Amino acid sequence: MKRRKIDVAAVPGKAAGALDDRFQAATPLRKLLNKVFPDHWSFLLGEIALFSFIVLLLTGVFLTFFFEPAMTEVVYNGSYAPLRGTPMSAAYASSLDISFDVRGGLIMRQMHHWSALLFMAAIVVHMLRIFFTGAFRKPRETNWIIGSLLFWVGFLAGFTGYSLPDDGLSGTGLRIASAIMLSIPVIGSWLTSSIFGGEFPGTIIISRFFIAHVLLIPALLVALISVHLGLVFKQKHTQWPGPGRTNENVVGERMFPRYALKQGGFFMVVFGVIALMGGLFQINPIWYFGPYEAWVVSAASQPDWYVMFLDGSTRLMPAWEINIPIGDGYVIPPLFWPTVVLPGILVMISLFYPFLEARHLKDYRHHNLLQRPRDVPARTGAGAMAVTFYLVLTLSGANDVIADKFHISLNAMTWGGRIGLLLLPPLAYYLTYRICLGLQQHDREVLAHGVETGIIRRLPDGRFVEVHQPLTAADHDGHGELEYVGWVVPKKMNRLGALGPAIRGFFYPIEKPAEAPVSPGHPPVEPRAEREEIGSGESRR
Amino acid sequence: MSTHTEHAPQGREPLDVNDPRLSRFDIVREGARRDDIEIVHYEEQLVPGTKAERRLVRLVAAMFLLTGVAATAFLVIYIWWPWQWEAGRGGDKLYTPLLGLTLGLALLGIGFGILTWGKKLLPKEVSIQDRHDQPGPPEDRKITGETMLYLADEMGVRRRPLLGFSAVLGLLPVGAVAAAPLIGGLISNPHKNNQMFTTGFAPGEGGEKIRLVREDGRPIRPSDVSAGGQLTVFPGIDHGVSNKHADSPTLLIHLREDDAEKSRAANERVGHGDYMWGNYAAYSKICTHAGCPASLYEQQTNRLLCPCHQSQFLITDNAKPIFGPASRRLPQLPIEVDEEGFFVARSDYTETIGPDFWERP
Amino acid sequence: MTSDNDRRRGLLARLRGRPAARSRGRRRLGAAVRLIAALTLAGGAYTAFAPGVQAQENPPLTGAAADGKALFDVSCVTCHGRNAQGVEGRGPSLIGVGSASVEFQVSSGRMPMARQEAQAMRKPPSFTDEQVRQLGQYIQELGGGPQVPEGNNLHRNADMAAGGELFRINCSQCHAFAGGGGALSSGKYAPSLAPASDRQIYAAMLSGPQNMPVFGDNQITPEQKADIIAYIQETLKHNQDQGGFNLGRYGPSTEGLAIFLVGIVALVFTSLWIAGKS
Repeated sequence: MKRRKIDVAAVPGKAAGALDDRFQAATPLRKLLNKVFPDHWSFLLGEIALFSFIVLLLTGVFLTFFFEPAMTEVVYNGSYAPLRGTPMSAAYASSLDISFDVRGGLIMRQMHHWSALLFMAAIVVHMLRIFFTGAFRKPRETNWIIGSLLFWVGFLAGFTGYSLPDDGLSGTGLRIASAIMLSIPVIGSWLTSSIFGGEFPGTIIISRFFIAHVLLIPALLVALISVHLGLVFKQKHTQWPGPGRTNENVVGERMFPRYALKQGGFFMVVFGVIALMGGLFQINPIWYFGPYEAWVVSAASQPDWYVMFLDGSTRLMPAWEINIPIGDGYVIPPLFWPTVVLPGILVMISLFYPFLEARHLKDYRHHNLLQRPRDVPARTGAGAMAVTFYLVLTLSGANDVIADKFHISLNAMTWGGRIGLLLLPPLAYYLTYRICLGLQQHDREVLAHGVETGIIRRLPDGRFVEVHQPLTAADHDGHGELEYVGWVVPKKMNRLGALGPAIRGFFYPIEKPAEAPVSPGHPPVEPRAEREEIGSGESRR
Repeated sequence: MSTHTEHAPQGREPLDVNDPRLSRFDIVREGARRDDIEIVHYEEQLVPGTKAERRLVRLVAAMFLLTGVAATAFLVIYIWWPWQWEAGRGGDKLYTPLLGLTLGLALLGIGFGILTWGKKLLPKEVSIQDRHDQPGPPEDRKITGETMLYLADEMGVRRRPLLGFSAVLGLLPVGAVAAAPLIGGLISNPHKNNQMFTTGFAPGEGGEKIRLVREDGRPIRPSDVSAGGQLTVFPGIDHGVSNKHADSPTLLIHLREDDAEKSRAANERVGHGDYMWGNYAAYSKICTHAGCPASLYEQQTNRLLCPCHQSQFLITDNAKPIFGPASRRLPQLPIEVDEEGFFVARSDYTETIGPDFWERP
Repeated sequence: MTSDNDRRRGLLARLRGRPAARSRGRRRLGAAVRLIAALTLAGGAYTAFAPGVQAQENPPLTGAAADGKALFDVSCVTCHGRNAQGVEGRGPSLIGVGSASVEFQVSSGRMPMARQEAQAMRKPPSFTDEQVRQLGQYIQELGGGPQVPEGNNLHRNADMAAGGELFRINCSQCHAFAGGGGALSSGKYAPSLAPASDRQIYAAMLSGPQNMPVFGDNQITPEQKADIIAYIQETLKHNQDQGGFNLGRYGPSTEGLAIFLVGIVALVFTSLWIAGKS
């Protein structure tokens, strides 16, 4: 019998041919392989959120194998002795089992929780990047809206997940959530009763939250994230202004291989950081909290950090109750304003901000170039104001811990928060605005007169002047003024030429830039870019 | 960029990719050009074969091997390390940290290995791609628009309005049918059995008064609570000490003589003159703000603090809120001592328990 | 610690306005008290060693109580008055508080107080265990009151799980689930249980020091007290945390801090490195 020889080298080619015959993949694949992405560290923040979401899915699936979403009462008999014999819900008992009786269950639980915190933190940091650089402008308003929604859907995912173990801390959170729903005028009691299946806490809420947490909300998140990424892909990433970068092109690396390798590596690093935190830092030690019992509470009861701003707003809210004297009388409790109205306003502002800004500036053009925060002082100031507002609320959400550990009066913390919430945001706006203007002015100064050299020269008439190194050759007037192009201006002598060929090193240069070796067939290094094409109109204020 | 405009794909003959003289890179670049990408800078970072390159290759290899070692260590620890919980400071307390450390190192090793590979060993490039984010040509817009309008024409709804109306009228109930089971199944009347206004202390069917009991179900004598002490009490009924009666936990406070005096005077003012028994007062433990157990009782200042939002209630002034976001005083439970010497509730609470809501009278 | 208190008082003063003067006065008073305490300590030390000076006014005291009285007359009399009957505006009467209260306050260093303030703080004790016992004996014989049982280990063979339930229902609202303590109104606080000994916890429950409610033996039986102590000492303190470094057991607030300071910072530095020029 004669064996047919297989030409191993030809197998991939043949297989590829066979695939293309059936799926016509060659052309789209070429387009995909050839997509260009701009490179900047701040463009990787969104990836942190994406990657921690993947870790959330992986660890979350593991947890569902062991978690029992039921509120039926059982008596704990697991290996954690200090709770043995305690009556508790099946949900709490199975969460304890995950922590103590499932091998490796605790690290999975902790990784799941840490990646949830990281997911939300990365969303916020990413959102700040988008906001301060103006990346939300036309044509990307839709993606900004989806991103804002992702924060709130993530918020829901986090809250439902936080409630599932049915421990003393999360039960307190659930109790407050029910009170928030109850505070909504007219429909409050009906809404709460319908969600909890009767009076709080009922016997069904954990199973309802479970299905929301493992199916409905993740499905929504996956859908929103897919559209979010699809739009980034379709609309192409924004880029910073700079040599060769225009509003009509993307300057960067092709997706494969280098960009994709970096993404893959970064995923592993995010996963690794979550694993390290999940193993080394204890999070949510539910075994101290005991089962949820309506009469048990702990000092320093806090929600996870991304909910803390609502807790803070609730703590700062004065006791203003509105009574409506009709019939038996109706009440709008003070809880309604900071927990329903405030988040509602925040959602609306964030959703409509791109349109509000465009309308205000009457700017309806496409923007693919980012803005440096200093070039848009009003927006940067508004952002600083929002961040300050959020920070004051978040800190107030932990004000009892701060009061206790730093020996400050609790009542003083509350009043400090109330006053700070009113005073600090405008102050932040003003300061940020002034700092932006100052930075702008300095940029212009350097462009007009050159970099300060630190060399003082005495003029013949006795005056002292500092010698400036102009950035460009003087024209016939003796002035070498350059136009600002919306990108970094070198401020120090050793930064001159920083926009040119790269210098090796992360924090400091480790070697002098070498003459780039030119491989045969490879194009030579381009000379420095011309400056005419740089920047879009609006970045030159 | 000048090169870019010169070699713009539109103005250039496409290369014949079957030309044997072309290098693979030439074909790659030609492919990129067909996607409107100009590779304007492509440069090996390291001269092949140099010391620097070999060093980097070794570094990346070392990271991958570290991953292997760490992952193996993870497996060894996972299988053989004692992991079952034991009291004290045993080795089991290191199980999770060791798993995290080895898993983290394994993942970081492979992550930084790949990153170093991509960042240092691969050629550096600068490519420029056209965005093409202009809107479609006006002609296309018009054609698409007309086509869609023609769809409507073909349907002829405008000429046959009955079809449109009947379709809408027919579909509306279908939508409602989809929503009905969801809403109908979930909806639950909050006022069933008057549940929002009653607690476990409501007298039984025969009007018998409900005893105050502890968490283990034992009834309470006045001597059980020392002056300056407080005790969480529950209705002495079935499941009284459980989340089934989450609105019933109550704080029984034994006030000192002078505080009790003040407290009685304050009670008198709001018509609760006989709600206390001796120096004992009972207030709902459920905060009127958000429902947390307001139970941080300061026995000297007689303040009751809620740990969730720091509302403070002054017990000697009928549990009036004196600080924080709560706007309503804690309801007081009228108590007395029965003939056997145990505390009972004289009636249910006379005010609504727990967080406020719209129709609270 | 001193600066902390001053700052706390400063904040309070700014908020309330009126009590500022009082607290300044209090501070001066505190200084005076300290001076007097130092003087009496010196004088008292002399009298303690000089034989035959001790006054024997009240019913005869046992040996230990007599020694306690000597200590009392040196260190406590300034605020708590002669025969522990209290001094208006300085210190309460100690008649009837029992040795439990003395033991708690003195062995934890809260008494003698350094100065008048919202709440006495734990500090290194000024007296040895033996002296504490003598002081306690003196107060006990003066007016009676609750006493802590003998022995340093009060939680032998106790039921940790039962103690846990009692802890969560009676203690955690102020001292927190993990026993780290928490804030109370206007600068007062529930202290951390970490440094507390068995006897101190027992004494605190019995006597209700400062703003802590009293948990008498009728409310929480001696066995239940032992259970609670077992839970605090064995589970909360002796047990190592299962899930790694506990971040101070402050709950979600430090967890939120950690995700930014560790997670986000590490990953932002990584992305700086990834996108940095190589």
